[in-house]
Amino acid sequence: MQTATALLQVLSAGIGTGAVYALVALGFNVVFKSTGAMNFAQGEWVVMGGMVTALLIGAFSSIGLAVVTAVVLVGIVGLLSERLTVQPLKKPDALVITLVTIGLSIVSRSLVMLVLGKKPVGYSGFSGNTALSVGGVSIQSQTLWIIAITLAFLVVMHAFFERTILGKALRAAAADREAAAIVGVNVGSTVLLSFGIAALAGALAGAIVTPLTLASYDQGAMFGFKGFSAAMLGGLGSLPGAVVGGLALGLLEAFGSFYISSDFKDAIAFAVLLLILFVRPSGLLGRADIVKV
Amino acid sequence: MQFGRRSFLKMVPAAALAATGTGTVAGLWSSAARAAEPLRVGSILSVTGPAAFLGEDMKAGLELAVDEFNAAGGMGGRKIEWTYYDAESQTQKGITATRRLISQDKVEVILSGGNMSGIALAMAPITNAAKVPFISSEGALAIVTPVAERQYVFKSTVDDGDVLERIADYLDKKKIKKVALIADTSGFGQGAVGQMKIVGPKRGLDVMYESFAPSDTDMMPQLTRIRDAGAEAIICWTVTPAGVVFLKQAQQLGLDKKTLIHSYGFVSADYMKLAGDAANTLLLASLKLPVGDQLPDSDPLKAGILKMMKAYEARFKRPASIYAAESYDGALLAREALKKVGGDVSKLSQGMEQIKDFPGISGVFTFSPERHSGLSKQDIVLVNWRDGRFNLADYA
Repeated sequence: MQTATALLQVLSAGIGTGAVYALVALGFNVVFKSTGAMNFAQGEWVVMGGMVTALLIGAFSSIGLAVVTAVVLVGIVGLLSERLTVQPLKKPDALVITLVTIGLSIVSRSLVMLVLGKKPVGYSGFSGNTALSVGGVSIQSQTLWIIAITLAFLVVMHAFFERTILGKALRAAAADREAAAIVGVNVGSTVLLSFGIAALAGALAGAIVTPLTLASYDQGAMFGFKGFSAAMLGGLGSLPGAVVGGLALGLLEAFGSFYISSDFKDAIAFAVLLLILFVRPSGLLGRADIVKV
Repeated sequence: MQFGRRSFLKMVPAAALAATGTGTVAGLWSSAARAAEPLRVGSILSVTGPAAFLGEDMKAGLELAVDEFNAAGGMGGRKIEWTYYDAESQTQKGITATRRLISQDKVEVILSGGNMSGIALAMAPITNAAKVPFISSEGALAIVTPVAERQYVFKSTVDDGDVLERIADYLDKKKIKKVALIADTSGFGQGAVGQMKIVGPKRGLDVMYESFAPSDTDMMPQLTRIRDAGAEAIICWTVTPAGVVFLKQAQQLGLDKKTLIHSYGFVSADYMKLAGDAANTLLLASLKLPVGDQLPDSDPLKAGILKMMKAYEARFKRPASIYAAESYDGALLAREALKKVGGDVSKLSQGMEQIKDFPGISGVFTFSPERHSGLSKQDIVLVNWRDGRFNLADYA
């Protein structure tokens, strides 16, 4: 019985962490779809989401309002980043954009440090720091919030891509830039939009995870790395892939450190990631590119 | 006015004459001139980069010491001329800056080594080869061992082994045998794991080890294992915010009813505030500084701590941290050592080795030719966090 509750305890921890990875992975996938590039500034937006929320909580009395405002503000940062660094590129191929985002991440991290400070910040969970006990398993109420908000965001994103003209335009541009341009899609604005969505997803991840983990300016690289791995694992460019990849990575880490050793937590997760990529290079849900000659 | 070649040549003999003149005077008054010449002291600090939060305090500690000493006549009878370089939390930058201090600035003593053990470890062989005394305010014991290769290197900080011995004393008192050590994967955390593997068996403790990355945001698997193994005390070893995650998740699993102990690396009011009520039952193995006013009057450190804290707070408008005390102690020790050898900097190392039972701010220092780390487990107390401040919980 002891082991069964321990198992459930670890499972809930893995799902909570995995949900956050899924949001970050979603950001990677959206930008990848529209540009073919990896956006390495993604992790910095996670940190910004948490730190800006912490700052705003002092000004607003409501956590919800602070979270929404912070996420929108970071979304604007995402739009601005695209306009300032990606849009002016003369030859915006995937490799160049990827390199630009590495620079963007370094600049973003320094700016966060200078503007928001070096000290780690935190705030209480959306329904206080309460934990629910279900049959011997203790779950933070914030973990439930994380799972619920992540699910809701994914449903909204799914509806956006499937049901709205803007979402369809984005997908069209992702599938074939030139063809989309010919039928009247403004390809430039789809790239802008994808950066905005990626920043929204990252900031949301940061805002909901900070009550559990605190946010400090130098965490971005870790979130970026984990989100990137989750995106690779699930299949680059796939929305359900982000969810599957994120949860898989979160669970792998949790169970790896529980059953084997916490010393090798990251190593175990990445060994499995490599194995999967050897067998399925396009990720769990990714589709291999088929080139017709 | 323009200098032609001719007028320049005319000036040369006059200049030479002037130079010979002063040379003779300097020769006559050589000892007096040397006494008046300032003592060149150099420091390497990381006031930017990840370790900046330590570097700012260590820099303030040194500034305070230098100004206080200069107002009272300097060190070894000479005013201090202090130079510092920012290592930016990078070992390579620290090494370059150390070489510059030695070869260009020709410093005679180095105080503080980049406020990161990694930087100080890299500096030690360089300063030792140059025979420039180096008093490190960084943690790792390897900075000053083996002593045969570190004749000129000393440290003003406490050793992990001593802190663990002190924690073992407390656990003895509480009759606790089953202990978990959860340490981060940095040099600081893993250093403690190495020491615990020596201290644990010696003190009859049954220790289980878990680790986490400094950037980790979830420790549930490790803590679940610790809970299921039935550890009665859990010791956490980190300086990173992950230590707050540890406290929150330990509370979530009900482990706050066990004995939770954080190391001296976590004695920070900011961290305690972030942890909120998860820090209620926490104990921290700390130097005496944060509870200076609560020490018994018989404590040899009390008067010094209160004086230093008052001066520090008046000047920097914030309370002194244990890190500020560590660098301040480095300066205190250098002055004391120079006193022992009549102000002769070339003998500073011998002076350091003669220091016995000297009350600094962090603790009572005793050095010897065999031991270049001066503090002991008597300098560690256990504190808790109540009413918005640290309080003395277990005194020797």
